[in-house]
Amino acid sequence: MFRLSLKMTVARKGRLFLTSLAIILGTSFLSGTTIFSDTLNSTFDRLFTDVFRDVDAYVRSTDSVDTGFGEQRAPTPVAVLDTILQVKGVSAAVGDMQSYARVIAKDGKPIGEDQGPPTFGGIASLSSAGLWNVEDGRLPNGAKEMMLDRETAEKGKYEIGDSVRVTALSGTRQFTLVGIANYGDISSPGGATYALFDQPTASEFLLKPGFVDAILVQGDGTLSDDELAESIDAALPTNAKLETLTGAEITEETTSQIKTVLGFFTTFLTAFSFIALGIGCFVIYNVFSITAAQRQRESALLRAIGASRRQVSVSLLVEALIVGVLGSTIGFAAGIVLSRALSALLNAIGLEITTNGLTINSGAIVQTVLIGTVITVLSAVLPALRSGRVPPLAAMRDTALDTVQKLTRRVAIGLVLIVAGAGGLFAAMNGADVAILGLGVLGVFAGVLVIGPALSKPVATLLGKPVSVLRGVTGAMSQQNVARNPKRTARTAAPVLIGVALVTAFTALAASIKNEIRESIGSSFRGDYALSVNSRGFGGIPTSVTDQLTQLAEVDQATGVGFVAAKVGDESPFVLVFNPETADGLYDLSMVEGTQKGLTKNEILVEADKALNKNLMIGSNINVTLADGRSMQLTVAGTYTDAYGNYAISRELFEGSATPLFDSFVYIKTKEGVSDESARTAIAAVSQDLGIGTLESRDEYIDTQAAQVDQFLALIYGLLFLSVIIAIVGIIITLLLSVFERRREIGLLRAVGMTRSQVRTMVRWESVITSLFGAVMGVVLGILTGIVIVVSLNDSGFSAFTLPIGNTIVILVGAFIIGVIAAMFPAWRATRTEIVSAIASA
Amino acid sequence: MRDGIELDAVNQTTQASQKIDSANIAARAESASKIYGSGESEVRALDNVSVSFERGKFSAIMGPSGSGKSTLMHCIAGLDALTSGSVYIGETDLSKLGDKDMTKLRREKVGFIFQSFNLIPTLNAYENITLPLSLGKSKGDKAWIQQVIDTISLNDRLDHRPSELSGGQQQRVAVARALATRPEIIFADEPTGNLDSKSGSDILKFMRRAVTDLKQTIVMVTHDAVSASYADRIVFLSDGHVAGEMTDPTPEKVLDFLKHLGE
Repeated sequence: MFRLSLKMTVARKGRLFLTSLAIILGTSFLSGTTIFSDTLNSTFDRLFTDVFRDVDAYVRSTDSVDTGFGEQRAPTPVAVLDTILQVKGVSAAVGDMQSYARVIAKDGKPIGEDQGPPTFGGIASLSSAGLWNVEDGRLPNGAKEMMLDRETAEKGKYEIGDSVRVTALSGTRQFTLVGIANYGDISSPGGATYALFDQPTASEFLLKPGFVDAILVQGDGTLSDDELAESIDAALPTNAKLETLTGAEITEETTSQIKTVLGFFTTFLTAFSFIALGIGCFVIYNVFSITAAQRQRESALLRAIGASRRQVSVSLLVEALIVGVLGSTIGFAAGIVLSRALSALLNAIGLEITTNGLTINSGAIVQTVLIGTVITVLSAVLPALRSGRVPPLAAMRDTALDTVQKLTRRVAIGLVLIVAGAGGLFAAMNGADVAILGLGVLGVFAGVLVIGPALSKPVATLLGKPVSVLRGVTGAMSQQNVARNPKRTARTAAPVLIGVALVTAFTALAASIKNEIRESIGSSFRGDYALSVNSRGFGGIPTSVTDQLTQLAEVDQATGVGFVAAKVGDESPFVLVFNPETADGLYDLSMVEGTQKGLTKNEILVEADKALNKNLMIGSNINVTLADGRSMQLTVAGTYTDAYGNYAISRELFEGSATPLFDSFVYIKTKEGVSDESARTAIAAVSQDLGIGTLESRDEYIDTQAAQVDQFLALIYGLLFLSVIIAIVGIIITLLLSVFERRREIGLLRAVGMTRSQVRTMVRWESVITSLFGAVMGVVLGILTGIVIVVSLNDSGFSAFTLPIGNTIVILVGAFIIGVIAAMFPAWRATRTEIVSAIASA
Repeated sequence: MRDGIELDAVNQTTQASQKIDSANIAARAESASKIYGSGESEVRALDNVSVSFERGKFSAIMGPSGSGKSTLMHCIAGLDALTSGSVYIGETDLSKLGDKDMTKLRREKVGFIFQSFNLIPTLNAYENITLPLSLGKSKGDKAWIQQVIDTISLNDRLDHRPSELSGGQQQRVAVARALATRPEIIFADEPTGNLDSKSGSDILKFMRRAVTDLKQTIVMVTHDAVSASYADRIVFLSDGHVAGEMTDPTPEKVLDFLKHLGE
């Protein structure tokens, strides 16, 4: 029987291809994501194994703050180098630094992107423990000389002897380029840029005199790495808060940190590939349902000549198995291409990650084929069971049975799901857990999908009204065709519904977030200009720039705001750092209680909801540990509502600290009567010298900040694109099968005088009505979801929700176009129906 | 004269019934009733029908449209369930069988030939013929299958798909498939209804030979007097009742009887 099922499946190549299409698309996304993340992982694996190749031991501070995206560690005193070099078994030791430094190209623009690969400043050393191989020139020596990695030198068109401008923690300086180096064997690690100096210059310019990030040690080969690390550890002063790792340990730790960060990212991608797969499921389920109905007589015949229910069901499942294996195998191959597209998509929105070649693990193949096949077979279970239940007598009836089942039970189940889901949503809106919110959304979606068939007839009839008015009898037939098989219409529209709902929800969410950003910046930023960089957490504008700006004759007031990683209580958030002295009247945190003015280094401000949540009030004490290892108790001096981050501290805390502090943005207020032109010219003189940062007026700045949400939205759209394609394919397949099923009817229509173009029109409008049905339902669900998410994640309630009217109209028009496109091929097929044979065929 | 013929037919029936002993009966219905709908719209498709079909004979069920002949066949063959009464294939009471046993019975003891859509379009002629065997995972009797194929003279068409065969050839494959498991009884529902007269008579001849030469049992539903005349015995149905029987029919005798039935 298995062999027969196999034959029966393979004999229907067209059907096999159509059914496979959905699973091919669904699995290609999954495999694309897997290949992409495997490639990223192996790229970094190789990179760090290469980087730490000659490092046998690694000495660093024990103080660190874990930010959740990697850790920030306290610096190590250079003095400890002498101690280490005296340890038996050590052949070389050298300071290592990976601090922020931005190389400015000859055109005055910084090399590298704000949100791209990191821009490092470090130590150039000839020690065999060092990481650099000098290609041209020599090592830098003294406060005026530097070295570049080859790729950065090429990007900036710098040659030996040129004067190079670099911006780092201590500001902007000019250096003479004396050498060009390779990182191990490669010109640049992962697209990062490197400005390299001798150790004293690097420490003073990039961090703090006398300090480095860590010490790299090379052994003389007499001791194993473990023994070497142990003896170094024993030699270190006990109160120095230093630890020693082996080369293998630091390689592994660095790699796993990168992988954690990449993990967030690949999980995000995987979530979207599962959305695509889920939508593919609907299409597969629909296709199997239709084909099962179409071969009802075949199934009945098999039953009449002695096939058991099981055998009939199994024969459909065998078909599903073949489709699954075939489709997901092709899908895997397509995923290789798609992983490239993913890379391109990320590059396009500025998240560039350089990789060499593709990594294709056998695990990826197994995973894709397994998931694809299981999903296909599962999607076919219901249709298979149904086809097993066909009475043998159906073999002798002329027309296939069109079982019109009562929808009462369906509506009841759907309503229960919706009510339960709505309950969850209501709870979430009143402060319940995010998990409840997710379950609620799921419940409502499932409920709507279950009720779908009951809704599709009235809604489709309504949507079809204008068509029948506009297109006369042809349009009326389209309308009737959509309404006559409500279940099929609902199943076809489901992928469109889900896709559109997601797009709408994300669009609504983005619009609301944008609006909030506008309002938040609008109320906190009281100045005229902003100088800002996009990088939060690593590097930014040197804090000295604010002073430079304040001294300008055109400027009345300037204040910088930055972010650092710190431990606050039991959390490790990024903490906002501002200058209470210069911020007054320019940067307004919208205080609820207390004042921001006069905040001392023993005090902290807390976001109002956070304070409520953590039961903090004015006068409460809270433990704060900075990345340099300093731990202190701060007193809550006030609560605020309008700022990035939940905690705010004074810049004073960082005076003399080895924790690098940069400003992410500087707000500027000009003196009265200063023209826009002269203000810009004056500020630009400072910012051009700096080489980094974007100077914008208040309005421009607010627009740019809000527009960052669009970038994220574009990424989401890109990732949902494939889901939408699958939904379109679903409509195409359904229409093709419907056209085939109705070929007698179409033949008859042709026989009584319907023109080919009328046939085309009929199929096209059928498609458009179906697609619009899905889209309208999707928009409604999407907006509701958006409202619920915004309201439950935001404290300002419903007012925070912004309805994206323009985008909603675009989505509906898009659905209309999708309907027209999806109908093209099936409509063409319908016109090919030969009148005589269509009527003659039984 | 007409009265004479009717009397004759009834007499013959009575005599024939007496000759049939129970061991020699392939299928029978006892007080079989089938009612569709209820109340005002109630339709009695079969009204207390009792009838037997002899082993090794070619029997026909005749009657005008709506006489219940197809319903009778569907019920005896186990494709449809009776409202009341019972049906036996051999000594098996079908009303006592669940779906599993019913499937097994259809696969092993019963063969079917339908008016149209008889074959699985994706399988070739040979695979269609052996399909019931494949479904039961048995190899079947090779020599028997070859004998059947020889009888229907389709040796050179075995690897063709149904779409590559003429209507008559398709129906011959269907006959061969029904014979393949050497069932206790074969039911044919208007097997020549969709064929031209030449192909139709070919099929009837094959069915005749299957009974005479291969010792099979066939029950055929038809409304065509010529087709019915190939049978050993005809059971006439009218309005859900048995209206009469006839053995060794000729087309003329059948037509005469039907004329009378119509009055």
